[in-house]
Amino acid sequence: MTWAHERDLARRALDTARTRGAAYADVRFVRRTTEDSLVKNGRIETVDRGETFGFGVRAIADGGWGFAASQITTAAEVDRVAALAVEIAQASALTKLAEPLLSPVRPVVAEYATPVEVDAFALPFEERIGLLVAAEEALRRQPGLRTTRARYAIQREEKLFLSSEGADIVQTLSECGGGIAAEATGDGELQIRTYPDGLRFQNSGGWECLAAWDLVGNAPRIAQDAVALLTAKSCPQDVRTTVILTGNQLSLQCHESCGHPIELDRVLGSEAAMAGTSFLTTDRLGSFRYGSEHINIRIDSTSPRGLGTFGYDDEGVPASDGWAVKDGVFVGYLMSRETAAALGTTSNGTMRADGWSRLPIIRMTNVSVMPGRAGSLDDLIADTDDGILMDTNRSWSIDDRRLNFQFGTEIAWEIKKGKRGDMIRNPTYTGVTPEFWGSCDAVCSEGEWVMWGTPNCGKGQPGQTAHTGHGAAPARFRNVRVGVVK
Amino acid sequence: MSVAGERVTSAGPLFGEAELRRIAHDALRQTDGDAAEAVIVARTGGLTRFANAAIHQNVASLEATLRVRVARGTRVATQATDRLDPEGVRAVARSASELARLVPENPQFAGLPAPRPIPPAPTAFAERTASASPLDRAKAAKLVCDPARAKKLRAAGFVSTNVQEIAIASTLGTWAYSPETTSEVQIAAIGDAGSAFAHRVALDFDALDVRGAADEAISKAVRAQGPRELAAGEYEVVLEPYCVRDIVGFLGQQLTGLAVEEGRSFVGGRLGQRVTGPVTLVDDPFDPSGLARAFDFEGQPSDRLALIEDGVARAVVYDSGTAHRTGNRNTGHALFPNAFAPASAMHLRLEAGTKTREELIRGVKRGVLVTRFWYTRWVHQLRTIVTGMTRDGTFAIEDGEIAYPVKNFRFTQSYHEALAGVRGIGRDLELLLPADAFGIQAASQRVPALHLASFAFTGVTAH
Repeated sequence: MTWAHERDLARRALDTARTRGAAYADVRFVRRTTEDSLVKNGRIETVDRGETFGFGVRAIADGGWGFAASQITTAAEVDRVAALAVEIAQASALTKLAEPLLSPVRPVVAEYATPVEVDAFALPFEERIGLLVAAEEALRRQPGLRTTRARYAIQREEKLFLSSEGADIVQTLSECGGGIAAEATGDGELQIRTYPDGLRFQNSGGWECLAAWDLVGNAPRIAQDAVALLTAKSCPQDVRTTVILTGNQLSLQCHESCGHPIELDRVLGSEAAMAGTSFLTTDRLGSFRYGSEHINIRIDSTSPRGLGTFGYDDEGVPASDGWAVKDGVFVGYLMSRETAAALGTTSNGTMRADGWSRLPIIRMTNVSVMPGRAGSLDDLIADTDDGILMDTNRSWSIDDRRLNFQFGTEIAWEIKKGKRGDMIRNPTYTGVTPEFWGSCDAVCSEGEWVMWGTPNCGKGQPGQTAHTGHGAAPARFRNVRVGVVK
Repeated sequence: MSVAGERVTSAGPLFGEAELRRIAHDALRQTDGDAAEAVIVARTGGLTRFANAAIHQNVASLEATLRVRVARGTRVATQATDRLDPEGVRAVARSASELARLVPENPQFAGLPAPRPIPPAPTAFAERTASASPLDRAKAAKLVCDPARAKKLRAAGFVSTNVQEIAIASTLGTWAYSPETTSEVQIAAIGDAGSAFAHRVALDFDALDVRGAADEAISKAVRAQGPRELAAGEYEVVLEPYCVRDIVGFLGQQLTGLAVEEGRSFVGGRLGQRVTGPVTLVDDPFDPSGLARAFDFEGQPSDRLALIEDGVARAVVYDSGTAHRTGNRNTGHALFPNAFAPASAMHLRLEAGTKTREELIRGVKRGVLVTRFWYTRWVHQLRTIVTGMTRDGTFAIEDGEIAYPVKNFRFTQSYHEALAGVRGIGRDLELLLPADAFGIQAASQRVPALHLASFAFTGVTAH
């Protein structure tokens, strides 16, 4: 896209907003193109393409915030929407207690594009769907399965951001992901195995992100697991033991129990009615022991392949990297310009909107547990006398301050005297965030570290879905409460 | 609205039936296949969000989606766009048609459903909601924020007004259209050591009981301060309708033909058998007190169904594809097309009992009153085991009285097994919407409070 027409419209919107009384305004035009295909039980279940294009205007007027958006991109509609954003801001001022204050950012004229090796949209369609057909067929060779699925999802988001401060930023963000799933039923049981991580694995980049996982080659193992789980041992009931989490499960553990509580809008109460607040209050910044000395968690919107990787956030703040947790101590938040100002600092660029129709809010970028020095997963198992290895998330829940959590995984194995033993079905574990991370005594090394993705992170009212990245390697936790489902 | 591409000013429907019919038929005419279907969802909404007793996010948007499904023999593809101008309509019709040439055959595709007569349903459109202004919503928010502040509480939540039009057309002659409105207020009243929640939904903004919701949340929050810890374990419970919505929603996911086909439904192979205690769960698209709509997202008439009748499993819902594949009758419950949930009960009602909320509480010797569930997720679908937290107003009940606030619990509980122990059903039904009400508003629920004999609390949190 050249954006010439949209840039003219964006300038018009800024002019209209200023004329109507806005002290600050910004405009985003966003075009999102998607394709999502699913092969199920030997049939093409869906081949679904979509394109959405529109714009949103954000304004401060009379000390209130307003946002309005539309999918009609005419000059008249731009005028209406910009004026509406200001009208809404003025209505917001009815309950105003303080003036909004934005931390400074240098307005830039810039472009950014996700590095892509193989443009997924440029591949012949037959090649994309062919991978799913082959992978799903490979699952079905295993007798005893009830349901088999293979899916890919590809996305390209092109966006233009202009602000009344002079920013003019064009970005093209590309994503690709997918996976396979096998389900087996019998004797009152329903068991599922997926690869590489639910059907929701996703990365920034092109088709190479999915092709690297060899869905066809891994299908027989996943299919066998699903059937074997039907007759596997039940998870031990309500015991405390050592748990090793695989990287994909640790990535979600990090998302829920670190990524969300470091969102500064939650901390300051903006999400209190819905997403909740946070136990990581501002008085704890820089001193609170979040985890053991093995825990280092990075906030990094520059990581290769991360779903939270971009050039600039939706306030025009450049991508950055820093620490959320360093050597076990809580040291950093995800911030916006306004929340950073409340802390007397500047934004680290984490404001992201779900397309053109939603207001930017603080979202995770890539919040990653950095690798340790425990070697490979096999090394870690060999170093564990007694415990359980849990792999790939099946269930997740955490309280509104992000303390009490409970997770279930698809599969687990006993660990006995340094060796992987019997398979376990319906594994669950539960805990309290700082105690859990405090019990970590080993994180595997860089060779096991993978950038996982969470493309279904919900937050905000109206609801928004964000795509977030989480690098992780397998890690070991001691004295974990296991087994709440008989 | 007269023409796509011009501004919206009317207090009536966004586009109107004639305009959506023209757009849909323009799209269908430009497809190239054996059959085609066009689904349009147009919506505009305003949502005024407050926290710390002041408005901090305040938004409005105009959104419309045209989704075209084209079938060439058994090759089927869909393409969606939000461009309803002639160029956008032409592009989406052609792209869907081209894609349908490339897609491998699906031998189980039965074709698009033939049109069937759609009976009239009560109106779900209120002009006052469509005309609500940002200032109207801000004033409603102020009705919540000010009294909360007077009680030294911080109010958080939102007031929203939404207008939605749904239109479905096909080359086989299907035409279905429904304009709908909703208005909604959600409130969490938060003190230094405890909080409470209230929620109201109305089709007509003038009928939205903002003051009542504020009173409920604030008075309950005052009582919720300083919770004590109660040990985890099995407790008798009274669940407010906000919790019951969650139970009904999760069970509804499993009361579909697809869930039975995939072997993950608790009623699979058990139709005609007792699956819960004496409750009746219906899907009633014609409920005049709900968000009535007489058709589904394939333009098929939606049946009124008793899914569970006095504890006995009676029916599950179907879309055309699942009905054909499994040899059942299409009940007209197709959702907006998606890969994983083709059908759903969209008008669930758990039938009312005879007791007031106070009578339900009086029936408990020692138990727990729960206001709201939070972050509920499947642990085991087939057994309907769900885990989640209590939130925003959890109290101990002793000798039929609310005794004191308690810290929140984690629960891990089979929802349908919990209903086996129904001891009382509230007489008042609350109209509620699924959590994310701003997107496509496909569903609504009407649910009472419940008194259950046992609920498994498996952990306690710090607050």
